[in-house]
Amino acid sequence: MYRVVLENLQLLPLLPRFNLKPGFGDKSVDEVCKSHGVNTDFFLEIANAYLDELYVPGEGLSLFSLDTMVNYIISTHKYYTEVALPSVASKINRLMDQSALSEKEVNLVTLFFSDYKKDFLAHISQEEKHILPYVIELERQSKMEEPDPAFIQKLKTYSIREFEQEHDRLETSLKHLSELIIKYLPPFDDIQLCHQVLNDLSTLMKDLVDHAEVEDKVLIPRVAELEKKLLNRESPA
Amino acid sequence: MRISNFILVIDSYLVRKGLVSILNRIQGVRILKEFGADQSFMAYLENHPVDFIIIGQSGFDRSFDLFLSNPGLLEKTILLQDFTIDGPPGKPPASDVQASIHLMEDREALNGKIEKLLGQHNEKNPDNRSMKLSPREITILRLVCGGLTNRQIAEKLFLSAHTVITHRKNISSKLGIKSVSGLTIYAIVNNIITIEEVNLNPDR
Repeated sequence: MYRVVLENLQLLPLLPRFNLKPGFGDKSVDEVCKSHGVNTDFFLEIANAYLDELYVPGEGLSLFSLDTMVNYIISTHKYYTEVALPSVASKINRLMDQSALSEKEVNLVTLFFSDYKKDFLAHISQEEKHILPYVIELERQSKMEEPDPAFIQKLKTYSIREFEQEHDRLETSLKHLSELIIKYLPPFDDIQLCHQVLNDLSTLMKDLVDHAEVEDKVLIPRVAELEKKLLNRESPA
Repeated sequence: MRISNFILVIDSYLVRKGLVSILNRIQGVRILKEFGADQSFMAYLENHPVDFIIIGQSGFDRSFDLFLSNPGLLEKTILLQDFTIDGPPGKPPASDVQASIHLMEDREALNGKIEKLLGQHNEKNPDNRSMKLSPREITILRLVCGGLTNRQIAEKLFLSAHTVITHRKNISSKLGIKSVSGLTIYAIVNNIITIEEVNLNPDR
C-alpha cells in the first residue's frame, strides 16, 4: 500500500473517505483495506478512476452494489465538508487578513466563500435527504419478490433523470474565484499562502468534477436502468 | 457550456485510448463509455442519452444492417475510417453518416471537425443552461451587483418587480449561480462590472 500512495500522491485526498491514513508499514493494499472494513476491489476501482485521466467508467464500478456507491458518496461529502472546505476557507481568511486589499475586496471574497459554503451544504443535504435514500430504497425494493405497490406507483411519476437535470455544477464558482485572485485582485505579499489557496481550489475543483462524473456516469445510469427493470417487471406494458 | 455525450466503438485499444485522450481535451465532450470489438453498445444505446457514436470502420461494417435499419442512429454516427475500404456488400455508404474522420487526420482537422459537430448539435438542441445572458439580463445583473434591490431595479428600468424577479431567476438558472456574491464574482471575471462598482449591500 505504501508504494501505491508514495508513487501516486494525488491519492491522498481519497484516503480519508475510506478512513485510511498514511502509516501503512509493509501491509498490502488488501491487508490495509480489510483491516479498515473497506472493499478492496471497490477501493482499487475508485483509485484507478481517480488517477487515470483516460478512465472511462466501464464494467468495473457496475459490479458493486448501489449501497456501496451511496456510502462512498456520503463519505466523499463528509470529506468535502469536514476537511477540504474548512481547510481552504481558513487559508482564504488568513490570506485576506494579511493582504493589502481594500475593505470591499476583502468583504467580497469572504462573503463569496461563506455563500459558496452555504450553497454547497444545501446541495449535499438535498442529495443525502432525498436522492440517496431513494436509491437505497430502490435497490431494496428491486430485490424483493413483491415490492411495495406504493413505491411502484411513485416510480411511475418520478425518475432519477430529473435529478440529473437539476444537478448544479459546484466547481464553476471556484473557477471564478481563482480567476478573480489571479487576474483582478492586486498581488498578495504572502506568495506561499496565495499559491496554496490556488492549489487547494484547483484540487477541489478537479475532485468535484470527478465526483460528479461518478454520479452522472455510473450512479444515475445504473439507477435509471434499475427503475426501468422494476417498472417493467411490476407493470408490464 | 452544454455537454454532448459520446460513446466510442473502436476495436483497437491504442486507437481508442488515443481518441479518448484527444476528446478529453475538447470542451463540451463527455465520453460515457467505450466499447471494443463487441456489439453490446447497441443495448447500451437504448438506456443512455448518447449524442454521438464514434465507430471504427470494422465495427461499422460488422453491424451495418443495424445501422441501415435505424436512420436515427446514422445521424449520431461519426465514422472513423481506416485503410480497409471495402466492407460487406450492401453496407451503408459512408456518406449517410453524420460525419467521418480518418485515422490519418491531423490534430487540428480532427479538433475542428468535432467542434463543428458540437456547435451544430448545440444549435439544434439549445440548452437553457449554456445560453448566454441577454443584454437585458446583463443590465439587471450589473444593477444587482451594484447593490440595488429588486424594487429599485424595477423603478430604474420601468419594469414590474415581478419581471425583475423572473429575470433574476433566469440569470441564476443560466449561470448555475444562486448567491449575489457568486453572481458578483461572475460579473467581475466576465468584465460586466468592475470591483470599484460593486456594492455589497447586506440588506438585500
